[in-house]
Amino acid sequence: MEKSIEKIWKEGFLKNDALIAPKINDLYNQKSIDIVDKFRRLYKINIIGITLFALILLPIATFVHIPYMGIPMFLILMSVANFGMKFKKKLDAINKNANSYQYLKSFNDWTKEMMAFNTKISRFLYPFVFLSMVAGFWFGSFGGNIPGNDFVNRLLIEFPDMIMIFGLPLFGVIGLLFILILLAVFGGKIGEWDLKIGYGRILKRLDALLADMEELRTA
Amino acid sequence: MSSDFYTVSILPHSGIIIKICRAYTDSQEDFEDYYQEVCLQIWKSKDNFREQSEWSTWIYRLSLNVCLTLLKKKKNNRQHFTSDSLQIEATEDSRVFSDEPLNLLYSAIRKLSEIDRAVILLYLEEKTYQEIADIIGTNPNNIGVRIKRIKERLKKLLS
Repeated sequence: MEKSIEKIWKEGFLKNDALIAPKINDLYNQKSIDIVDKFRRLYKINIIGITLFALILLPIATFVHIPYMGIPMFLILMSVANFGMKFKKKLDAINKNANSYQYLKSFNDWTKEMMAFNTKISRFLYPFVFLSMVAGFWFGSFGGNIPGNDFVNRLLIEFPDMIMIFGLPLFGVIGLLFILILLAVFGGKIGEWDLKIGYGRILKRLDALLADMEELRTA
Repeated sequence: MSSDFYTVSILPHSGIIIKICRAYTDSQEDFEDYYQEVCLQIWKSKDNFREQSEWSTWIYRLSLNVCLTLLKKKKNNRQHFTSDSLQIEATEDSRVFSDEPLNLLYSAIRKLSEIDRAVILLYLEEKTYQEIADIIGTNPNNIGVRIKRIKERLKKLLS
């Protein structure tokens, strides 16, 4: 006679193998590896992007006669990529054989170190980038003319009594210095925003996961 | 999660969790993930247990909710990665119990809708219609008819 589903169910679970509980150990491992891998992928793409941009920018800037922008920008972007590579090596060196908590803790320490460094260099990076752009256009060559010189000549015709300093109008130098100081003061914050835009979601997940694990450890 | 809590409060009811997780997964890997996630959610939500129901009933409810949520997430992920909607359908189970009729019954249960799976699992666990309705959040009057229909479908699938 055909067995009822109720009987199949009851008898089936009388066998020893049907109700063996799996060990609880791997969930956080998987989650932590997932987070770090995602971050590593994004970070690598970012470094490649910066390098490619620098390599494309240099010939283009030379071609359009603004080498004073192209060369410093190339140098600064390559330096950023180089620092990035150094940090990536440190990231790759994090011990994957440690337990999930230690692994994530090491990763968290790495992100803090990387962000602190980023904040520090951003104070120089953004003023430097701005200065390169101004220099690029000021000393560039468009149709045989140097835009900076043309601009100063026109200003001198209009305002012959204008105060000059190193061949540049004083108000322009003050304005430039003001912007450079602003960028130096807020460069760190801009750098932080930049990182948050790129990695914010992953870093939030990391914080949540670490908080979760810390709670588990204290329970 | 402290091992005490797991040993004292979850392990005695692990059968419930195993039975539910088996019905919502088709591979050992998924099954272990679901099982661990359910245990974790039980631990995290333990303070919300109000003792208005049995601890085991509460575990049923929570296990079902976690499994349904994970299943939904899994389906969404698959939809992101495949343009072929047919691939979203259930795949063959890669696990086997030593009891062949139980394997067949589980295969048939996995072909049911997510809610029907929950209903039949609770019925097979000898929950009353009222308990099933409480756990699923539905009207107990409809449960009897629903179970009858599910059993007929299972019989067809098994024959």
